[in-house]
Amino acid sequence: MAVTAKQPETSDQRPPASRLAQWARTFGAALGRPIISVILAFIAGAIVILITWPNKTVDPFTNVINAYTTLFTGSFGTSENFSSTLVRVSPLIFASLSVAIAFRAGLFNIGAAGQLAVGAMAADMIGLTFTSWPSWILVPVMLLASVLAGALWGGIVGFLKAWRGAHEVVTTIMLNWIAFYGTDYLINSPPFTAPFGVTATIVLSPKAQLPSIASLSNQIFGTNLSTFSYTVDVSIFFALIAVVIYWFIISRTTFGYEIRVIGQNPKAAQYAGIPTKRNIFLVMAIAGAFAGLAGSTRLMGQPGYNLTATAFSLDPTGFDAIAVALLGGGTAIGVLLSALLLGGLRSGSTAMQAIAHVDPNLILIIEALLLFFIAAQFLPVLGRIMPTWLRLGRRPFLVPATTGTTSVALPENGNGDMQNEIEITELDKEE
Amino acid sequence: MFFQVLLRALTSTNTWHTTLEFAALLVLPALGGVISERSGVVNIAMEGMMLTGAFASVMITLALHTIGVSDPLSVILGVLAAIIAGGLMALIHALTSINFKANQIVSGIAINIIALGLTSYLVFVLTPAGQGVPSLPFSLRLPTLPWGPLANIPWLGYVLFQQNVIFYIAILILIGVQFLLFRTNIGLRIRAVGEHPQAADTAGVNVRLLRYLCVISSGLLSGLAGAYLALGVAGIFNPGMTAGRGYIALAAMIFGKYTPLGAAGACLIFGLGGGLGIPLQDLSSNPNLTYLLQTLPYVFTLIALVGLVGRTTPPAADGIPYDPGSE
Repeated sequence: MAVTAKQPETSDQRPPASRLAQWARTFGAALGRPIISVILAFIAGAIVILITWPNKTVDPFTNVINAYTTLFTGSFGTSENFSSTLVRVSPLIFASLSVAIAFRAGLFNIGAAGQLAVGAMAADMIGLTFTSWPSWILVPVMLLASVLAGALWGGIVGFLKAWRGAHEVVTTIMLNWIAFYGTDYLINSPPFTAPFGVTATIVLSPKAQLPSIASLSNQIFGTNLSTFSYTVDVSIFFALIAVVIYWFIISRTTFGYEIRVIGQNPKAAQYAGIPTKRNIFLVMAIAGAFAGLAGSTRLMGQPGYNLTATAFSLDPTGFDAIAVALLGGGTAIGVLLSALLLGGLRSGSTAMQAIAHVDPNLILIIEALLLFFIAAQFLPVLGRIMPTWLRLGRRPFLVPATTGTTSVALPENGNGDMQNEIEITELDKEE
Repeated sequence: MFFQVLLRALTSTNTWHTTLEFAALLVLPALGGVISERSGVVNIAMEGMMLTGAFASVMITLALHTIGVSDPLSVILGVLAAIIAGGLMALIHALTSINFKANQIVSGIAINIIALGLTSYLVFVLTPAGQGVPSLPFSLRLPTLPWGPLANIPWLGYVLFQQNVIFYIAILILIGVQFLLFRTNIGLRIRAVGEHPQAADTAGVNVRLLRYLCVISSGLLSGLAGAYLALGVAGIFNPGMTAGRGYIALAAMIFGKYTPLGAAGACLIFGLGGGLGIPLQDLSSNPNLTYLLQTLPYVFTLIALVGLVGRTTPPAADGIPYDPGSE
């Protein structure tokens, strides 16, 4: 009697969905929220253009279409434009990895901007001091200096967080401004400052610069690429390697596992015997190191090859990195794609201004709306009216809700002191 | 040598006049931060709200002036517009963090970014050929308010009794907020909502409404500070003109341990950094010293955070969206 075979299926045991549906569900869970956020942000940006109508010679709708087409052709349309997009993308990838690795440990690194500044400054100081060194020593030492300086700046945050309970958002904001003004001081001081009253450092000698891919390719493969049209330098390869290293740290090492546990549930991590404090310190130091590389690669890889006073406080990379890390969900591939998107927006905005007469600050508006849409949890509401197989990801928000702007008490080692318990995030409760 | 310079700077009336001006500029957003965080909503968006206020004040004042409204009325309405604009920005923050339970830090960053983007974008759209806002004539600026004979007291008169009108309003607001938070029923409720919203809710306090009001008032105060900056101190609007003042206010709030008077004290200390900057720059041989001086507010705050001067503890429910269903 094969009764069991005839048992009706309960709702829990649906037949395995077709491979396509399964794929769609996985896809939707991982990408639904970011993609919908991007679309909503672009729609909102279009509305801003419609209302303000900056180019009165065409009708508003054409103005929107012109703006967005020039934005995308300006960033990805031609190989030259794509090359100049990549120039922006490589420091952005480093900075975003910095924010992302902190996110995975439940920490909010607003300090990428400051870590970037000290990293760039350290590299610049080495580059301008040891001018007699050959290129093959000088460049690695400069990169190393930026890693160490960034790691120090991030490590301070980790140390204060782990051992003094100071909230990382506040300490990073403070350290950002200390870094901005501190670098301004150094940039304007001898022996680094350029002569003739310019508030910038001396331009790095060519041997302290990172070569552009075009010139490397011309030397090695005998191609004839114009270094003026193809501006991207080798740091984009370093950035790709960094993405792989990030992926490896997060998903293939014990340390990566430990910080993910700390990020999801610090108390569980404590009880599981994970050295929380040490790991918080380490993760912030690594975050700082990534951001430091963002600074040095930008200094050494982009025309100018010098640092300008007050430029760091206006540099959007640190904030772009937060948007990139959130949009990418803290995953390596997500960071890569989101960095391409945001770097592309920044890079294409000049073309948008020149041709469609839309102010580049529109990008800031789109970016801010993107942040709102990713952070605000009204998308699950939207998800409920979608077909089941297309349900938007109900994955917990990357960053746990914070407790206060100054301090989060960490549980004391092993004594399970309930007074010091860390609030479980709102979303963890829901899940 | 250095101490001689410092002493001369410290005894100059200009130093103290500027110090108080800087402090008043910082204390308004800092008070906003105190109110918001006391009610349990983390607010790092004072920078953006201030910038929006500065923008609105200048734009509205200029627009009213152009259509023929009398100068004093244009300025008053400009200040009102700044307050409302700051409040609207805060309303967005309240909406995302209270209703949509967004991460409040992300929301704050987004406010700061959108304020910078939107104001710069609108300056481009609204000014002819996008060349920026012109400097305001003195009749369209916030006036200084000399206190009759008191203003003529040597030294003290210039420092205390010849300040901008908003300076005196800021002092009144400071006293008002301190009184409100610690001497009234509403203040008690605000603090309860920030410490234990569940308990407050059980006691009949409308948690969400109170948080909304507190976040919005942080925007109103920051907007007023923006008007003071644009119409009173600078007399012009430039994109990004707040230049980190909102963050110094955030630092002052924490340094002042989330109390109005503490924050005001911190603003005075931080303001002295600004006040000393200019005389030191004039007097010392190294003009770069100002850059190092400008780091001091942040260094002080870091030291305070490390716990060398007593521990700073935020309200217990600060940053946690309220969910009536939990516990």
